[in-house]
Amino acid sequence: MSRSTQRLVRDGILAAFWVWFSARLLNDWFGGVFVPAGQPFFDPQPVADAASVIGDTAASLGIVGVPVGWVASALDSISFAMTYLPDLAAGAWLTVVLTTLGIVFGIVLAVPLAAARVYGRITRWISLGFIELIRGTPLLAQLFVLYYALPLSGWINAIPFVGSGIVPAQAVWVAIIGFTINSAAYQAEYIRGSIEGVDPGQLTAARAIGLSQLQGIRYVVLPQALRFAIPSWTNELVYLVKYSSLASFITVAELYHAAESAAYDNYRFLDLFLLAAVVYVLLVLSATTTMEWVRKRVAIPGVGGSAGGRTSTE
Amino acid sequence: MTDPLLDVDDVYQSYGEESVLEGISFEMERQDVKVLVGPSGSGKSTMLRCINRLTDIDDGDIRLDGNSIFEMDANDLRRQVGMVFQDFNLFAHLTALENVTLGLKRVLDMGERKAVEKAAWQLEQVGLREQANSYPAELSGGQKQRVGIARALAMDPKLMLFDEPTSALDPELIGEVLSVMRELAEEGMTMLVVTHEMGFAKQAATDVLFLDEGKLVEQGPPEQIFENPEHDRTAAFLSRLTQLHGGQ
Repeated sequence: MSRSTQRLVRDGILAAFWVWFSARLLNDWFGGVFVPAGQPFFDPQPVADAASVIGDTAASLGIVGVPVGWVASALDSISFAMTYLPDLAAGAWLTVVLTTLGIVFGIVLAVPLAAARVYGRITRWISLGFIELIRGTPLLAQLFVLYYALPLSGWINAIPFVGSGIVPAQAVWVAIIGFTINSAAYQAEYIRGSIEGVDPGQLTAARAIGLSQLQGIRYVVLPQALRFAIPSWTNELVYLVKYSSLASFITVAELYHAAESAAYDNYRFLDLFLLAAVVYVLLVLSATTTMEWVRKRVAIPGVGGSAGGRTSTE
Repeated sequence: MTDPLLDVDDVYQSYGEESVLEGISFEMERQDVKVLVGPSGSGKSTMLRCINRLTDIDDGDIRLDGNSIFEMDANDLRRQVGMVFQDFNLFAHLTALENVTLGLKRVLDMGERKAVEKAAWQLEQVGLREQANSYPAELSGGQKQRVGIARALAMDPKLMLFDEPTSALDPELIGEVLSVMRELAEEGMTMLVVTHEMGFAKQAATDVLFLDEGKLVEQGPPEQIFENPEHDRTAAFLSRLTQLHGGQ
């Protein structure tokens, strides 16, 4: 397959996923726009019936029926997916919220942390202490401390609208705070690396025309460093999509939690986790595709090691 | 009598144990073009960096317009002293035009339109009107250095420092940069230039200063330094340099 065909296939799959996902959320949030909330868009029963008919036929055919049996189990999987995907969609939405807000708020914290780490005097040590503390302890432990040991949940609950309508409940916000803090520490290290990758002559030249150090960092160093950091950001985002499953331990009903709850209904754990895995893959693919788009969008010839948008041969 | 524009007064500088400048003194009047020459490691570049306080000095004083630069705000000083670097140091993420407007907007608080107008004019002066929207990676070395010169000039400096502006250039690109510098000298800009381009020194310099091992060995008009140097060290160094870089 040529690269453009690959991209076409990928974009097609992602487009189908997001059309379904948005329709699903729209339907369920607004009390059944297309079908009753939480119900499949298409009745899985006929598919299940077909699977069992074909399965019976396969059994009667003996050895010749083996390939026919594959068709039957494929149809069975499809009807299973049609039945349970609505349950997973609500969880996937929380996964998207946790990941996106965690990474975005994380960047906001990470940039000053990284700058302090490179240019600060006292702040360098504060930043270093924070980064090593967070990177040195398990994310799960951090979530437990935030959720159970600190009075954070109580404060968040006191904020109006939390937990009503589509505003997530307090546990979600605690998880977002946890992911923000955690990803800030990792991102700060990525950004520190890319700040150090910017030629020191750039800041010297900024100082030489009379910009202050802070202005030099803001207008000259960071615009380049943040472009260098995009590949590591992509990595962090990919990690976070999956690490967000740890939020299930503090009662957040994200994708993993949703799959697990559904499995307790029917005891088809393997099938549900496989289904959740497919959704995770699609979310990760969406993340990497978006970041690739961002990378191309902000590319400048000669910055970030890429040929950049203008001179690109694609 | 008015103060000289630049008064370098018995300056000492060292990196750790290693002494770099050992009691350098010289003055520059307005419109002077002085060329600093000397073997590598003689302290030429350090001397320039002391003048806009990119490097601190250990002892002595440097005065601009009669005021000690160490009593001025460093950013204030630097907007009055332009600097051109050997490696250009153009802001890699900005176009040629934006390289020039950044200082105008953020240091001189100029509005967007005025800054763009001024930067475009400045680029035209160095012959780069066509390249205003190119990024540094899309420019040749000579073009980059001319943007570097325009970026410094746009701040309307009193004094321009050139730190080996042509050393990183391919031989065929040196001419375009030197001709911009010559024009600048003719227009009356005060310039302190570290260079090995003896042709430029002979044509444009009011004085040549020969530095060796952190000391100012001798200074004088180019004819005197080239034809009739007082010191053997100067003669030996210049004859080697002239073989390599020649006049034009």
